[in-house]
Amino acid sequence: MAAPVLETENLVKIYGRGETRFDALKGINLEIGKGESVAVVGKSGSGKSTLMHLLALLDGPTHGVVALEGRPTGDLSAKELNELRNSAFGFVFQQFFLTPNQSVLENVTLPLKIAGVPAAERKRRGLEVLEQLEMADKADNKATDLSGGQKQRVVIARALINDPSVIFADEPTGNLDSATSNVVEDILFGLNRDKGITLVVVTHDEDLARRCSRQVYLVDGQIVPSLEKAPGDAAPREEDRHPWAQQPSDATGPVRVAGPATGEVITLSQADAAAIARAAQEPARPGRHAAPAPSTPDQPGATA
Amino acid sequence: MKFIDLLRTSIGNTFRSKARTILTVIAIFIGSFTLTLTSGIGTGVNDYIDKTVAAFGNENSLFVQKVSERSTPGSNEGDGPTEYNPEESNVRLGFGSVSGLSDRDIEKIEKIDGVGSVDPMYMVTPKYLESANGKKFKLSLGSPPEADGLQLESGKAPERAKDEILLPASWVEPLGLGSSQDAVGKTVKIAIGNAVDQDKTFTATVSGVSQASLAGSSDNPIPSVGLNKELYDYQSSGSPRKVPNSYFTATATVDDMSKVGTIKSQLADENMLGNTVEDQLGMFRAVINGIVWILNSFAIIALLAAGFGIVNTLLMSVQERTREIGLMKALGMSGGKVFGLFSLEAIFIGFLGSAIGAALGIAVGSIASGALSNGLLSTLPGLSLFLFDPFKIALIILSVMFIAFLAGTIPAVRAARQDPITALRYE
Repeated sequence: MAAPVLETENLVKIYGRGETRFDALKGINLEIGKGESVAVVGKSGSGKSTLMHLLALLDGPTHGVVALEGRPTGDLSAKELNELRNSAFGFVFQQFFLTPNQSVLENVTLPLKIAGVPAAERKRRGLEVLEQLEMADKADNKATDLSGGQKQRVVIARALINDPSVIFADEPTGNLDSATSNVVEDILFGLNRDKGITLVVVTHDEDLARRCSRQVYLVDGQIVPSLEKAPGDAAPREEDRHPWAQQPSDATGPVRVAGPATGEVITLSQADAAAIARAAQEPARPGRHAAPAPSTPDQPGATA
Repeated sequence: MKFIDLLRTSIGNTFRSKARTILTVIAIFIGSFTLTLTSGIGTGVNDYIDKTVAAFGNENSLFVQKVSERSTPGSNEGDGPTEYNPEESNVRLGFGSVSGLSDRDIEKIEKIDGVGSVDPMYMVTPKYLESANGKKFKLSLGSPPEADGLQLESGKAPERAKDEILLPASWVEPLGLGSSQDAVGKTVKIAIGNAVDQDKTFTATVSGVSQASLAGSSDNPIPSVGLNKELYDYQSSGSPRKVPNSYFTATATVDDMSKVGTIKSQLADENMLGNTVEDQLGMFRAVINGIVWILNSFAIIALLAAGFGIVNTLLMSVQERTREIGLMKALGMSGGKVFGLFSLEAIFIGFLGSAIGAALGIAVGSIASGALSNGLLSTLPGLSLFLFDPFKIALIILSVMFIAFLAGTIPAVRAARQDPITALRYE
């Protein structure tokens, strides 16, 4: 593996406290090498979005360290973090986040505008990157007048314009049909291959994940060796279409189980229970015990 | 983000929701339009008072009168009769006499530190004024110092040492002098009788023609100081016994206006009362300013209401643009810059409303002023009801922009505090 561009050490993220306490990440150790393409795969509530936010320095961890190119980022000021994000990272979101009523060029050059680059240079670099993505003829169009695939290309152009070392893509193809998805994936992996830009893709799309050089599977805030797909789970569930809907859904009520070690009754969310059920169905792997000790829920509905 | 980009972006954002921006701008417009008009009235009326003050006499003139000792009990010891003082002179009037200023009083005034010159007001009662075409008119003369501040239609004020006279505009035609311009340089005759009723005629050159004014002092012809003194000397001549000079009032010219206070108190010590023009008109001015401020306060209330309009408009914008704010923060924009973005938008909305309001206020005020001075207010020449002081207009626009900024801080702080992750998730 090449020298790590991003490293984490025992990364813990806890939301809320007391009754509402939710442990999103429970000690993540991860290294992402320069030029790697890494897929972070997990269900809603697995903590994959939280992990991406911490890696992208959008949020700070409760405990642990995120290091960028060997430098810990914990003691950086808000201003330094802003500048780092602006210069080192590119973002591609499922929801595009294009500003309506602004031209494609204006949308693409937003990171440069924030960085304080003069207007003339912004335009030059904006057209250059649009050219690269075969979108130069749409530079003066309103961003809202484009098709989904074109919008995502504009978003990729925006992510590319500051020459980032890492591009974070959060469900980049979640809003696209499969043909357009393939085109967008080709572009992203082409950039990874040709320009050596590190790619961190957060997705629950197994096909997209397989195209990455490495997959990181998250279950319940911890890295697990792999996810065994439960039968009938091929199509993403509705709640998984929204990557931010990661809080466990309590729609069908929590699942109460007996703790394996102590025998005390603990409450699991439905999603947790489902993940545990899946983990329980695969053979145990030596040396890794990231998932909680498999315990079959005593409620049959939990596997749904 | 550079300031110029920030400014451009926020101005661009202002027009993203046109209907909402226009409605907010209208609210501010109403306030600043009203404020512009009321401030215009204030400036116009005060300017007119200033001119009128000038018509009452020079700003550094002090009008001195004798205070009757009888009217100030306590200045004498006991309540008994006041002892006769042959030095004390009375001004004889048709219906009796009042204590006047004697020549000794005039000397006392002249000696006071800070007083330049003193001109006693001679009570001159000429018989008639005869014009070149032989017509005779009843004549009562104005007091020479009044000529200083009058608005002239032509010519200039009478010169002190020359036998000159200033005529009101309304006199020019009856005297057969042609136009105001033609009248300058022509001569009129003034007839006056002395103590034994022998008439004598004095010739005076018309030095200028005065406009009518609110003070009324320009209703009468005003002779030069010299001519007035000549007329007085003749009027008081012919008496078998020298009558002591006595003056109803005297005008002291004060060199240094900062000493007016001490001069007044010194006059009071000598049983004299000094008043400046400002003293005489201060009350009038206070009432006008009071009215203007009441009008202003209505406009300010309108502006405060408009301020809440700005808060509302921008809160909606922040809500609508939550994800955009989140994106900008994710891409490395600082909270301070986000605050600036929304503050500038508020300030720009304030600027739009106030600038349009001020411009339209000036236009409407100027048109109304023109129409009124030819119509309703034509009897008050020199009054333009609305006058616009560029400094005050700038102050109005800047204050409205400041109010807009204050109103914008609430939404701007809310925007600046957005957490990028939460904001990006917002739907």
